[in-house]
Amino acid sequence: MNTLTRRGVLQTAAAAGLLATAPAALSACAMGGGDGDTKTEQDDKTNVNPLGVKDDAPLEVVIFNGGFGEDYAKAHEAMYKEKYPKAEIKHSATAEISKTLQPRFVDGSPPDFINNSGAAQIDFNGLVSQNALTDLAPLLDAPSLDVPGKKVRDTLLPGSLLPGTYNGKVFSLNYAYTAYGIWYDEKLLADKGWQYPKTWDEMIALCKTIKAAGLAPWTYQGKHPRYMSWPILSAAAKLAGPEILLAIDNLEPNAWKHEAIKTAADAYSQLAVDGFILPGSEGLDHIQSQTEWSLGKAVFISCGSWLESEQKKVTPPAFRMAIAPTPSLTSGDKLPFAALRGTAGEPYIVPAKAKNANGGMELMRIMLSKKGASDFTKKTSSLTCVAGAEEGVELPPGLTSVTKALKASGDKGFNWVYNSFYRKLERNLVDAACGDLFTKRINAQQFVDACQKGADEIAKDTSITKYKRS
Amino acid sequence: MRHGRRLFVFTFLVPPLALYAVFVLSPYLQAFQISLTNWRGLSPTYEYVGPENFTRLLHDHYVWNALKNNAIILVALPIITIVLALFFASMLSVGGQSGKAGVRGVRGAAFYRIVYFFPQVLSVAIIGVLWKEVYAPRSGMLNGFLRGIGLDGLAKPWLGDPDLAFWCVLAVMVWSNVGFYVVLFNAAMQSIPREIYEAALLDGAERGETLRKITVPLLWDTIQVAWVYLAILAIDAFAIVQIITEGGPGNSSDVIGLRLYGDAMNESKFGYASAIGVAMFFLTLSIAVVSLRMTRRDRIEL
Amino acid sequence: MRRRAPRGRFGVVNAFSHTFLVGWAVLTTFPLVWALVSSFKDDREILTSAWSLPAKLRFDNWVRAWTEANIGRYFLNTAVVVSGALVLTMLLGAMAAYVLARYTFKFSRTIYFVFVGGMMFPVFLALVPLFFVVKNLGLLSTHLGLILVYTAYSLPFTVFFLTAFFRTLPSEVAEAAMVDGCSHWGLFFRIMLPMARPGLISVGIFNLLGHWNQYVLPIVLMQGQGAERKWVLTQGLTALTINQGYAGDYSALFAGMAIAMLPVLILYLVFQRQVQSGLTAGHLK
Repeated sequence: MNTLTRRGVLQTAAAAGLLATAPAALSACAMGGGDGDTKTEQDDKTNVNPLGVKDDAPLEVVIFNGGFGEDYAKAHEAMYKEKYPKAEIKHSATAEISKTLQPRFVDGSPPDFINNSGAAQIDFNGLVSQNALTDLAPLLDAPSLDVPGKKVRDTLLPGSLLPGTYNGKVFSLNYAYTAYGIWYDEKLLADKGWQYPKTWDEMIALCKTIKAAGLAPWTYQGKHPRYMSWPILSAAAKLAGPEILLAIDNLEPNAWKHEAIKTAADAYSQLAVDGFILPGSEGLDHIQSQTEWSLGKAVFISCGSWLESEQKKVTPPAFRMAIAPTPSLTSGDKLPFAALRGTAGEPYIVPAKAKNANGGMELMRIMLSKKGASDFTKKTSSLTCVAGAEEGVELPPGLTSVTKALKASGDKGFNWVYNSFYRKLERNLVDAACGDLFTKRINAQQFVDACQKGADEIAKDTSITKYKRS
Repeated sequence: MRHGRRLFVFTFLVPPLALYAVFVLSPYLQAFQISLTNWRGLSPTYEYVGPENFTRLLHDHYVWNALKNNAIILVALPIITIVLALFFASMLSVGGQSGKAGVRGVRGAAFYRIVYFFPQVLSVAIIGVLWKEVYAPRSGMLNGFLRGIGLDGLAKPWLGDPDLAFWCVLAVMVWSNVGFYVVLFNAAMQSIPREIYEAALLDGAERGETLRKITVPLLWDTIQVAWVYLAILAIDAFAIVQIITEGGPGNSSDVIGLRLYGDAMNESKFGYASAIGVAMFFLTLSIAVVSLRMTRRDRIEL
Repeated sequence: MRRRAPRGRFGVVNAFSHTFLVGWAVLTTFPLVWALVSSFKDDREILTSAWSLPAKLRFDNWVRAWTEANIGRYFLNTAVVVSGALVLTMLLGAMAAYVLARYTFKFSRTIYFVFVGGMMFPVFLALVPLFFVVKNLGLLSTHLGLILVYTAYSLPFTVFFLTAFFRTLPSEVAEAAMVDGCSHWGLFFRIMLPMARPGLISVGIFNLLGHWNQYVLPIVLMQGQGAERKWVLTQGLTALTINQGYAGDYSALFAGMAIAMLPVLILYLVFQRQVQSGLTAGHLK
């Protein structure tokens, strides 16, 4: 056996360690990357070319290859090419945005246009605090491509810039307009003679009926329990008004301990306590749970409006997917039943060091034209933040119900953004608290305590940049 | 000749050393340097913050939680794997009925050796994805089996339960490693003379006894090698955990490698993540030194 | 009489231990068979009934995984990179290990420790600095770059293992050869290398499996414009998994797994004797 014994390995390891402690007198190649040689390609700004795009400057685009695929982006690039035939467009798509692009940011040679989405997106807190992104104000103030007499800013749905706004500046364009609510099969409810409940008491009563009929009333994305934090926060905001969401986003002390959040958490935890949740849900990932739902094993599920395209493959033909707002908790709710969380998702960015930042913004302007946006809706079955762009496009049932629900919600709609300010707070801390709540490990009081503890942790962490919104 | 020797050593050593220095050493040394900064990995700007990352580390309960899991793996993985592998290997080499030919392996030993080794040739990516599906609560193989034989009560949301998820991952690690050590121990046992076993059996030794009193002592060196390999696996454990549970639910199956990865890639705190790596390095080192001391004392006492 | 005593006692034990042996065999094969069977099911069958057989053999899953997910191309790329890296690792590793094991010179132990210390550090800590090293050499998104990096990162274990192995080789043969006027080079290539065969095979198979499974390195180093044409299999498979998270294409996922799994398993079955004896021989010297 000779030296191939444990002793041999350990001795070796010990000595190697001593060596490694020797001062590292190496110059910092990794951190000392890209210097200030980032001159942006620039042409004169004119009415036809308000962003001053240089017509022969190459444009590099990196698309997140997720639920929307990449075909829609290729179509947008084709429109760009049509406008600037001399420009060479480099297109690539990846599911691993962070690993792929992070080193290029350090290097100072990021692409000109990035769809920074998905589970592996680059943390926005880091990007913004490092001044790595271009302020999109010039784009928003430029005239719209095909809505005469309007600035791009004025063609957007209300509130759609909010999620990309950090301390007052817009750094990301959140393009896909998403509604968050509770989903069900209209046909199933109609067949059984059930009505979607407008109050929580009716919800609990209906759950009893459903359970008696041999179905599971609810399921949820067990491995990502934060999906259930959405109806809780929505219900709480409807109960006490959207100010409580502002407090949460701004990390105000004891924001999560607001009575309304506890009431809402208590209401929703009732689903677990009374056994209204499909058994085993906590071990299902989002696709698995949503598929159980699509197959009619459970009646309700909380999700955003990407649900329809995510479930396209397994949805039975007769299924009539529909979204509804969270039931009102009390008759004295501050917001009406119809109020819905609508927000823009799918963030697109132009890095500050992009060689062709103007080109990147111009591509955004093309996306935000009526033509570009309705093409996106056609290709991805998703709404965009461009007002009315879906008109004339034939929509599948789920999306039709989303547009109806958004219209009904109107100016009573609400939103929160703490999840993009502080990714970890939603993805790890609130997520874990939801997991415990819906497996009956903790009660509503402990739930708000756990969420508040998470928020305090973020607030105390000096290495995380803080943002405020109003 | 002396000159030839020097030239020979030089030409043989320089190419591998150069490659190693460029692609391995220089990145690692830079990582040490990064651990002293607040670099966020998205721009070339950073400040030296001294030991701040390391003091933060001491108060980071997520790190301690992950470390606890690593410690459990470090103890449990080698013990379970080695015990199982020894048991199977001894079955295969001496478990058969003693007939005229004396002590021999069970029937079909060759078949078992081939089959047990299967997981060893599959990549972590495949093993992880596969087991994630096996554990799926409703469509998974495991619960399907339990329900099929009427044990509905045992069907669990495996990876969804914070009390079970970690052990589920550990089970996969054992599953994928046992085969290799069965084959390794089996080969080592071939070199133990049959007569020793036959004599032991004639003396009326129980099978457990022969394993404990004959096989284990004679295989001790091989077992130690196995221990070292498994310990290296245990300290890493990154890929398999990331694929199967991503550390969840609620950090219950977190490991230190995943912590480092998350802080670097998801939170873009490269300074801090590098500090975790450096701390990990010194921890491994101290474990190594301590065990070295202990084995040394063993030797003296012997 | 003489034989009955053990047999009687062992009869029960045998039944008991046989159950265990069969049990473990089932445990190792069943998940694999299950994945294979599932690769012929459609999404609905996969998600609704875990243990049912597919209604028919749906080869279109395989076709979809092979063409749309490009598993075929990634297979080829992986073969190129892995074989290149393997040859280089074995050559450089054997050279370094041999010199370190059988020659004493200034810093020889230091160099040995520097090599072996590399086993103790988590790879992804080096990722970002490594990216720049590779980029500055102009090797980003090239198979050559990947081969060099794989090789560099397998050197610690290879050197550690082979140094131990070369030390066990008898020195009489070497001395005799030197007396006969054999050069250092001739000694290495004609005598020591053939003698080290069992060790070389062992560590070679180890490296083969390690390179084949490499996961983090290619993700970082094979990217950018057109890089997906050069991806390796694990990348393709992860892309498929992640994609599955968005598109829910379970059947293609299982088919992709089957495609990635089968060739390796078949190769192993064909060469199982060599693989097993090779892998273990080096450890038992």
